[in-house]
Amino acid sequence: MHNNDITLRTPLRFLESENQDILKEGGFGAILARAGVGKTAFLIQIALDYLLMNRNVLYISLNDPVEKVCLWYEEVYRNISKSWDKKQAKDQWDSLLPYRFIMTFKVEGFTIPILEERLNDLTEQGVFSPHVLVIDGYPFDEPDEKNLSNLKNLVKQRSLKAWFTVRTHRHKEPGPDGMPVSLLTVKDLFDVIIQLQPIGSETHVNILKGATQTEGVPELLLDPATLMVKNKS
Amino acid sequence: MITDTKKVRNIGISAHIDSGKTTLTERILYYTQRIHAIHEIKGKDGVGATMDSMELEKERGITIASAATSCQWKGHEINIIDTPGHVDFTIEVERALRVLDGAVLVLCSVGGVQSQSITVDQQMKRYKVPSVAFINKCDRNGANPFRVIDQLEEKLAHNAIAMQIPIGLEADFSGVVDLIAMKAIYFDGENGETLRYEEIPARLVEEAEDRREQLIDAASMFSNDLTEAVLEETEISDELLYSAIRNGALTRKLTPVFMGSAYKNKGVQPLLDAITLLLPCPADITNEALDLDRDEVPVPLLCDDAKPVVALAFKLEDGQYGQLTYVRVYQGKLAKGDTIYNVRTGKKVKVGRLVRMHADQMEDIEWIPAGFIGALFGIDCASGDTFAARGINLTMTSMFIPEPVISLAISPNDHKSEINMTKALSRFTKEDPTFKAHVNQETGETIISGMGELHIEVYIERMKREYQSNVTTGMPQVAYRETITRKAEFDYIHKKQTGGAGQYGRVAGYLEPVDDEEFVFENQVKGGSIPSQFISACEKSFRNCIRKGPAMEYPVTGIRVVINDGASHSVDSSEMAFQAAARGAFLQGYAKASPVIREPIMKVVVETPTEYQGSVMGSLNQRRGMIVGSQDEGVQSVIEAHVPLAEMFGYSTTLRSLTQGKAQFTMEFSTYKEIPRGIAEELHKKANDKKRDVA
Repeated sequence: MHNNDITLRTPLRFLESENQDILKEGGFGAILARAGVGKTAFLIQIALDYLLMNRNVLYISLNDPVEKVCLWYEEVYRNISKSWDKKQAKDQWDSLLPYRFIMTFKVEGFTIPILEERLNDLTEQGVFSPHVLVIDGYPFDEPDEKNLSNLKNLVKQRSLKAWFTVRTHRHKEPGPDGMPVSLLTVKDLFDVIIQLQPIGSETHVNILKGATQTEGVPELLLDPATLMVKNKS
Repeated sequence: MITDTKKVRNIGISAHIDSGKTTLTERILYYTQRIHAIHEIKGKDGVGATMDSMELEKERGITIASAATSCQWKGHEINIIDTPGHVDFTIEVERALRVLDGAVLVLCSVGGVQSQSITVDQQMKRYKVPSVAFINKCDRNGANPFRVIDQLEEKLAHNAIAMQIPIGLEADFSGVVDLIAMKAIYFDGENGETLRYEEIPARLVEEAEDRREQLIDAASMFSNDLTEAVLEETEISDELLYSAIRNGALTRKLTPVFMGSAYKNKGVQPLLDAITLLLPCPADITNEALDLDRDEVPVPLLCDDAKPVVALAFKLEDGQYGQLTYVRVYQGKLAKGDTIYNVRTGKKVKVGRLVRMHADQMEDIEWIPAGFIGALFGIDCASGDTFAARGINLTMTSMFIPEPVISLAISPNDHKSEINMTKALSRFTKEDPTFKAHVNQETGETIISGMGELHIEVYIERMKREYQSNVTTGMPQVAYRETITRKAEFDYIHKKQTGGAGQYGRVAGYLEPVDDEEFVFENQVKGGSIPSQFISACEKSFRNCIRKGPAMEYPVTGIRVVINDGASHSVDSSEMAFQAAARGAFLQGYAKASPVIREPIMKVVVETPTEYQGSVMGSLNQRRGMIVGSQDEGVQSVIEAHVPLAEMFGYSTTLRSLTQGKAQFTMEFSTYKEIPRGIAEELHKKANDKKRDVA
């Protein structure tokens, strides 16, 4: 079984063309949704996609402890690989783990200098050298443009790319271009913005900025039971 | 006897070595009139402090096994569970922490928060045990309780708040000011047993008022009534203040700090008051059991005497009257004459004599109510067993017992040691299911196995101390395993028909890897090509083969053997012939099934001050560790990694030197994984050298 076989069912493969990452080096991507819609599950699917491409992913959670993030990964991987042979899926999983590193911070303890220090620790000690940052729980309710710009510079300097989750609020009206209020002041920093929008019993995956859906692929949805991305059938 | 659950406190006293934990416990027992004289520790009078029930503990001043003792204070029953101070005694630590509802964190007023305080605090945090702190040794030179409070905040991230201020320090330490009652307390009498309440000395009034303000500020976060009283500037009653502080303490968001000198008999009684006022009763804590009928799903237990009983045997002791089993009743009540069931074995047990322990003394009781701790006589069980009423299939501890991952050979130095060693091993293996002992049939050596280097070291030490059994130990051995990675067929004929009685047997089938099972044997032979009376001989032979793998003589696991064909001879076939044929078949199939060596991988969790995070990760990386992640908790960081056990020998020394002794680690078995080719080659070389040496 090749990595690509599994990758077919993960989000990045539904967007743009195969073998071409929708986020360029130094880029920022955001997954927007209200609480409980499936941002973290979607982000983990993106992270797994990179892992399956043998890219080193540094997953930073400002909400959950390491153990919980591990459980998220296991759950999402189980869903992605459930149709595969059990042993092969397990071997594949074991081969992915060295590409993953999880860091968790308390929201108030997460600053760009601290992140930079941690990144230095990892690389100087030869422990891990990330290609992608995946940041879950960054406080976008009152986004600090300067901080995010600094983070973007750091990401650029180190030739990384970064994905974020952004929580939106039902009671806050979006801007004229559909952007949520929390992103209005910092939206220019983002190269790709994807929104998860529950409509009735379905959750639609809408691309608000920077990417196009793979040609010929039907509209994307999140499976409400597993929170896995799927085509509208 | 007190039976009201609200009046019970099951507490642990946690501290690093030499912070005065044993002296404090001794004084608590003295003031609660459980003992009538004060003994010094490391006993000049040959008696020793009452809680030091083990010799090793007496000598080193450390606590390895948990003992429970109960005493009464102002209408409350306080059960003190002795907690081990080292994180490596996993089962002991887990059981002790499981049983207690709250803790007193003892700190030295001079030494402050030391690395071992960090360890014990982390244990409490892991098990969400609410605590109060007691800063001991305020009479010592260099005592500075407020520096220790700052350290509690900086090093342990506690929201620590002084409940008292000292009256004098070092040699002048004479009492404490209670910041709630706003009174000075002095401890009179030969042993400080008489409390004298006075007005606060004039020189301390201002400081006391300031500190009280800080206390009220901190407490008001946990009570709307208190916040209201502060804002409206109405009088704040002691009850209101205690209730707010208790709310903070129970959620571990506030740590009330008391101070004194147990050795000089000062400050212990107010601490006892605090235990009753601020620490939780069993009903304040949600305890869960695992439902064995539903795949160990956690179910809450109710601290209610009327419910069916569920109790945990958390400690066994050999006494002069036989085995004494300490139990905590979580739900229902355990009464003399009751019939209960050991959930693990399914055996019915009749409750005979029930007692409450006061260190070495005991008191007969009629029943143990929900939330209480007591001990049973004459019950055969293992430590960690759950007892429950008929029809209740709940367990307090998971039935999953990990297999030991490290072993070493021991041999007694003399005959007396040999006899005692047998006794000791029988006791230890019963107490701790992760500790095992067996005799190697080939070498006649006794092999002991456990979950880590330290785990085994402690039992060897206990053998010496408690059983006077001196043993010589071999080098620790990692429990490697062999397994196969693909399916392979075999078809083997064992034929010996030249002269004498002949031997003939043919066995055919295949081997394949299997998950989650050690060994599976399946007979798919049809039409009697192997006569049914020889099938068991084949199975027996395959089982023998997996004991010592063909590759490197490690046990073979995760293998399924299927036989589906064969042949026999009407005269020359025998059990022996088919055993030989099966052995040949196994070796033939095994060689083709891509065998590999697997090694135990440990889940290692290092808790370190954040500044050492990088070097700790580097050290794990160097040991073939795969770092799963790091958790930044402000001053402390927690790093989780998976590291081969073979690389973890001596890691405690490395970690100490890397972090100036400020980091700790725990280690538990995670899984078996295939070893890298380079390491396998090294192992092969070592095994070959060994064989050559033997030859």
